[in-house]
Amino acid sequence: MAVLSGMMDAMPAILVLFLLASGLARAQTYDLLLKGGHLIDPANRIDTVMDIAVSGDKIALVAPSIPAAQAKKTVDLAGFYVTPGLIDLHAHVYGYGGSLFPDDTSLVAGTTTVVDAGGSGWRTFDDFKARVIDKSRTRVLVLINIVGWGMKGSKYEDNVEDMDSAATASKIKQNRPVIVGIKTAHFGGSGWTAIKRAVEAGRLSEVPVMVDDKIFTNSGRTSREKVLDVLRPGDMHTHMYNDRQLEVIDRFNGKVQPYMWEARKRGVLFDMGHGGGSFLWPVASKAMRQGFAPDTISTDLHSSSIMIQESDMPNCISKMMVLGMSLQDAIERSTVNPARAIHQFPEIGTAGAGKTADLAVFELRKGVFAFKDAWGKKRLGTQNLKCLLTVRGGKIVYDREGLGFPLWNTAGEYEVIP
Amino acid sequence: MRLLLALALAAALHAQPVYDLLIKNGHVIDPANKRDGQFDVAVIGNKIARVGTDLPASQARVVVEAGQYFVTPGLIDIHTHFDAQGADLNLNPDHNALRSGVTTAVDAGSSGWKNFENFKREVIDVSKVRLLAFLNIVGAGMYGPKVENDVNEMDPEAAARMARKYPEIIVGIKTAHFQPATWEAVDRAVKAAELSKTVVMVDFAPKPGRDYPDLILKHMRPGDIHTHFYGRLIPQLDAAKKIQPYMLEARKRGVMFDVGHGAGSFWFRIAVPAIQQGFLPDTISTDIHKSSVMLPRAYMITTMSKLLNIGMSLEQVIERSTVNPARVIHRPELGTLSEGAVADIAIIEMQKGSFGFLDSGHGKLIGDRNLRCVLTVRNGQVVWDTEGLSLTDWIKAGPYSNFK
Repeated sequence: MAVLSGMMDAMPAILVLFLLASGLARAQTYDLLLKGGHLIDPANRIDTVMDIAVSGDKIALVAPSIPAAQAKKTVDLAGFYVTPGLIDLHAHVYGYGGSLFPDDTSLVAGTTTVVDAGGSGWRTFDDFKARVIDKSRTRVLVLINIVGWGMKGSKYEDNVEDMDSAATASKIKQNRPVIVGIKTAHFGGSGWTAIKRAVEAGRLSEVPVMVDDKIFTNSGRTSREKVLDVLRPGDMHTHMYNDRQLEVIDRFNGKVQPYMWEARKRGVLFDMGHGGGSFLWPVASKAMRQGFAPDTISTDLHSSSIMIQESDMPNCISKMMVLGMSLQDAIERSTVNPARAIHQFPEIGTAGAGKTADLAVFELRKGVFAFKDAWGKKRLGTQNLKCLLTVRGGKIVYDREGLGFPLWNTAGEYEVIP
Repeated sequence: MRLLLALALAAALHAQPVYDLLIKNGHVIDPANKRDGQFDVAVIGNKIARVGTDLPASQARVVVEAGQYFVTPGLIDIHTHFDAQGADLNLNPDHNALRSGVTTAVDAGSSGWKNFENFKREVIDVSKVRLLAFLNIVGAGMYGPKVENDVNEMDPEAAARMARKYPEIIVGIKTAHFQPATWEAVDRAVKAAELSKTVVMVDFAPKPGRDYPDLILKHMRPGDIHTHFYGRLIPQLDAAKKIQPYMLEARKRGVMFDVGHGAGSFWFRIAVPAIQQGFLPDTISTDIHKSSVMLPRAYMITTMSKLLNIGMSLEQVIERSTVNPARVIHRPELGTLSEGAVADIAIIEMQKGSFGFLDSGHGKLIGDRNLRCVLTVRNGQVVWDTEGLSLTDWIKAGPYSNFK
């Protein structure tokens, strides 16, 4: 303190003036202020009204009240929910026949991170990176397929010769942190080769594996328990409510299978992966009634599942709310949980100061809404979560109602307004 | 006994569904047939079978109660980009068209004669939405400024040959993005259109020596389409925001003015005064691509909502999204709910409240109505049904599972 005041004494008038000026400039320290929204940030145990200030691409401050005068742009979000940008742990943005470009399907849904689940393999990852990952505004992370050619169709995906654990692990090591894990899916052959090679690659590169197991009675994988035995703690089984993959519910007594509980206790994670066949009301209802909820909510969004209904993250969250999950719980399973599952927490999945400003704003509509499962069967619900605005890397990239922009007739002969 | 048998037979016949789909009690707006009121629309196979009142629900396999909605012909978006360069670089046509009620989308020059067949094989042939195309006068299509500014890439004969090879898909020739200050691109596109007996769609930037009035009064033919006409580089208004006389003159000549919203071509500061003076678009279209859908939300149904809130009537908006574009691309069989027409239908909700809309410059207009497509029928099939209007509740669906 003494040193400081000594410096002050010695300070020439011009410097004092300069400091005053920068003090004035500090009146607009922040580029963007999201004001008055109800922040749900499970990682920081926040579930209340909070203001969020953004500078550049980072969250600068989260506090109960930040004056609007301190920001270049203020968005009034009273009555709406604000969350960390959602993380869709199971998406298809490359390689798979039904893959979709990420931005127009993710950013409009409040999803700022998508994890491509196995579209690329070690042979095609570089092409994926050049054509999609580097060109998307959405953060795209990758579960690399154990099949070298990725999700190119059954001729490729059933070929065990192309499941090279060492080559896959080496691609992962060269491309951290974009590649966050391994995917095995659609294997139509018999035996355990696909899953075992994926787990082996996961062991070599220290990343988790996500399994989509296509079970045939002639596959030699008749015991669903066995699938869970070969998975390590932290590995994920997606499509958990597809009763043909895991037989989560015992068909005879309607109970969640004991091996499901055991696997969960052991640390195996269960992911929703809605998709075109893996979220069915009868299965999900029974499981949820017994408390068997997904660790992570994800869409498996592709060109046919998106036509069932906008089966995006807010839609999947709304469906879990139909089954009794609270909004807070669902947000946790759509932000911090997936971030942890792919070992990216706390870089993503939370809205703390210093983090990349990936944020989503939602309205929770009340009324009567139809929700369609993967088979197109509808069920009515009373709450519907809709994305209103998305911030990715500090920039407003989606703003359905134009909350962050001025009225056209007050903006003069405007050019593109930032 | 015979009487009894006959009665039983009649009853059985009566119970037999006649229609595959019956849309009941909707407010039908079908400008081609001058229908604007409550009607039932019945579909058999892929055709509109009947439009009438009081068609019995018992005669249909699937009944959609549309009492609170508008029922229109499937919408036609004549300026889209669903090009052939792979799912990672463009928008998925079915998702982005069908959920907006668009059953016919015209790709506006993404491909040229060199790569059209690739586009056809990879996208057009596998899409549910009816995809038509304007062929780019540039042989390689929208492949970047190097080819798009190269006059040697613009071969009217080759373009016309390709257009004539696929008359059921190629409805015209597109010219766009041409930077050199000459008329080469426009004139060659017109030449290709003359040779193939189709129309031209022009995306134009005025330059010294290449004036806009010359484009619409001299170089374009009646029936040709100027897209992006509410764009900020187009001198459609004078300094006092009055419509320029040459706009009216060109319209009188038969030049068509198309919205082509896009990421840069729809501005409230231009569209509002133009529409207030009665200068409406002949056709409403989106120029939908992966950036125009983000902040401007250049979807068909949203673009229509913007024009509605500026002051066009719903009937005018529907007319310019159905029958008008159908006529402009010389496909008068589309854009109608005539009996016998292909069953392409949109069911649209008009929400009331307060809604914000951004234009290409991110200027905001707050309106009191919002259009939303709730159900789309394409070729007789329900392809989008976000409210499940055509479906039964899951609990009545019986036990179902993936496990067989």
